[in-house]
Amino acid sequence: MNPTEAPLTLFRPPFRNYQFDAAYDEMFAAPGTPREHYKALFQTLLELPAEQLRKTQQAADLSFLHQGITFTVYGNDEGTERVFPNDLLPRIIPHQEWRKIETGLTQRIAALNLFLEDIYHHGRILADGVVPRELVYSCRHFRREMRGLTVPRGIYVSICGTDLVRLPDGSFAVLEDNLRVPSGVSYMLANRKVLKKVFPTLFRDYGVCPVDHYAQALLATLRALAPATSSTRHEPKVVLLTPGVFNSAYFEHTFLAQQMGIELVEGRDLLVHDNIVYMRTTAGLRRVDVIYRRVDDDFLDPLCFRQDSSLGVPGLFNAYRAGNVVLANAIGTGVADDKAMYAYVPAIIRYYLGEDPILANVQTYLLTDRSQRSYVLEHLDELVVKAVGESGGYGMLIGPHSTEAEREEFRQRIEAEPRNYIAQPTLSLSRAPCFLEGEVQARHVDLRPYILYGENVTLVPGGLTRVALRRGSLVVNSSQGGGSKDTWVLRA
Amino acid sequence: MIYSVRHTTTFRYEPAVRESVMEVRLQPRSDGEQRCLSFALDVDPAANIMQYRDFTGNTVHHFDIAGSYKQVKVTAQSAVEVQSVPAPRTSDSGDWADLDALVAANDHWEMLLPSHFAHSSEPLERLAKELKCERRGNPLVLLTEINESIYTMFAYVKNSTKVDSPIEEALQARQGVCQDFAHIMIALVRPLKIPCRYVSGYMFHRDEDENDRSLEGASHAWVEALVPGWGWVAFDPTNNLVGGDRHIRVAIGRDYADVPPTRGVYKGEAQSELSVAVTVSPADNVAPEPITPSFVVRSRPVLVRAAARSEQEQQQQ
Repeated sequence: MNPTEAPLTLFRPPFRNYQFDAAYDEMFAAPGTPREHYKALFQTLLELPAEQLRKTQQAADLSFLHQGITFTVYGNDEGTERVFPNDLLPRIIPHQEWRKIETGLTQRIAALNLFLEDIYHHGRILADGVVPRELVYSCRHFRREMRGLTVPRGIYVSICGTDLVRLPDGSFAVLEDNLRVPSGVSYMLANRKVLKKVFPTLFRDYGVCPVDHYAQALLATLRALAPATSSTRHEPKVVLLTPGVFNSAYFEHTFLAQQMGIELVEGRDLLVHDNIVYMRTTAGLRRVDVIYRRVDDDFLDPLCFRQDSSLGVPGLFNAYRAGNVVLANAIGTGVADDKAMYAYVPAIIRYYLGEDPILANVQTYLLTDRSQRSYVLEHLDELVVKAVGESGGYGMLIGPHSTEAEREEFRQRIEAEPRNYIAQPTLSLSRAPCFLEGEVQARHVDLRPYILYGENVTLVPGGLTRVALRRGSLVVNSSQGGGSKDTWVLRA
Repeated sequence: MIYSVRHTTTFRYEPAVRESVMEVRLQPRSDGEQRCLSFALDVDPAANIMQYRDFTGNTVHHFDIAGSYKQVKVTAQSAVEVQSVPAPRTSDSGDWADLDALVAANDHWEMLLPSHFAHSSEPLERLAKELKCERRGNPLVLLTEINESIYTMFAYVKNSTKVDSPIEEALQARQGVCQDFAHIMIALVRPLKIPCRYVSGYMFHRDEDENDRSLEGASHAWVEALVPGWGWVAFDPTNNLVGGDRHIRVAIGRDYADVPPTRGVYKGEAQSELSVAVTVSPADNVAPEPITPSFVVRSRPVLVRAAARSEQEQQQQ
């Protein structure tokens, strides 16, 4: 598309500097021609005086500050806690598109849970040669301690955050599954609260699906997993286990615990006696049934996992194995969100469900394969390389934005440990309008819907739209200078 | 042959500690040529003892002790029957193709991949070259040769390494204890695609066995490798033995990290001392209470601190 051919309206404020490239634009079908579901927002932006927009932005920023919505950047001694940057303009998703995402994600979580149950029991998929055994056994997150252990309802992943990107053809694809301790849902809730306040009329007229019931849905999911013994005694006791105040998502831990009306605990607040988990309270010990844990497997139980960990609860795993307490998510789910395992997810869906995947995967090169590896090493300047067990945008090389020295470093790392890396083409993520520097500019976005799996699969409509706030950047992670915006899924 | 085994572990703390949680792997296995006829575990101060089987089928007992105390004593008493089996003969053992077929037909990946203690390194590569560790001759012959080479090349020196020492220490000094020799053998043979596993247990010592280097009064470690035609065969590089009925198997794992006899966590800042005493005797002589512990490990206090910041700073996805 050549911008010079664009209708004049586009170059009116606040769209004067709105740019197009090969990426899919969420708002415009063509320069100056908004998509049907963006028309009302487009019109509002044209009509609102610039000054008014700026004031609205300030009101929104203030609201975030006052609510204390923060995240923590590691490795920075002063001012580690930052206000999470929010963008004023909602990302809008038509109802039909959302329906497809919802069914696609429901399919995916069902298959991934069947996969986890299989590899920790009979290993049919391994015996049938669909997934290589070596890939499972060499995964850092594979927990042999989970073998033969039965989890409630056979559900390993009950809280999932899946990252979707929209490709230039307009279709959504899965970029990665987060099956261990997905975070960010508190920002989704905070964004909505603020946007409802600053755009009341627009919000009402658009007919947006609510997300405010997320905390209740999460609590219902956790309760649905409670051990059978607990219902005869009392209402199941659910707690949220946090690593502590220095964790990047500590704000979210406090927020969700408060929203659900459950206790926020650290490892030292719990103890295990005769295979039962108790919480220390001022009124004595209180039995715990379900733990929504935001602590990595490694740090959960020093008796079983990392012995040098002081965060965990000694004996917790034995209580879990005995079925006296439930952990959500289960232990050992990381083997299914290993970035090399990701390449096999379409095959996993076909194997267990006999269906084709509804949402596509992104092409992925496995570096343990000699020919794929040599291709990747020759094309490092075009590809994205990721460490298989990392998240948060750490341990990543973005070829087109990298220096020769960085590529050389990754070349050495890949050759030393090919199992530890994968490569993908550099994707052109879709772009959405953002209000930056007093005008509307296009920035790359992704979408992380949150999937809950208890009695059944529940998705609150939308999720967290993450924005790469720096011009031209493709990295949306909050730890790497990303922000977020509210996501409006339309009722009809 | 029926053996009676008594294994006593005593932990002393100064000052007192509390909230001990412990796991022990002390019950001899019932598989292969061995049956555990009876087993009793006693813990002082008293605790409710629970148990489970781990992923390789070892029986694990675990318990926690409320209150505060300066000493924890764990006593395991078992009677084990070990059948004598003929030493494996080369004439009946398969070749490399048979081994590959055996490996392909089953899931032996766990015992083929590198593990915490048994992994490759520069000094190991050097040793592998020196011993010409490559697929040659017949698997059984090669395994027997490697077993003997470790026996002749490495000196057994009591306390020369610690339980958590990496094998590089033993490789460099050419000396170590049974645990090191077992790990070195595993690290040498797994790259040849021979499934190999670590065995912890006991050894019955007789006066007539002058080649024995393993210590009487202590637990022992050796390996088992998969040999076509013979199944899992025991190789004991500490004593240069293949198979035999003087070994009593307690637990199998990828390496020591999977099967420590005792593992525990407690609260409190204390100087600790661990002492272990083991007696193995033919069952008609009931094992007498050992008088002196075979080994003692003293540790300085471990500071129990508030959860370290670096641990809290773990990734959220």
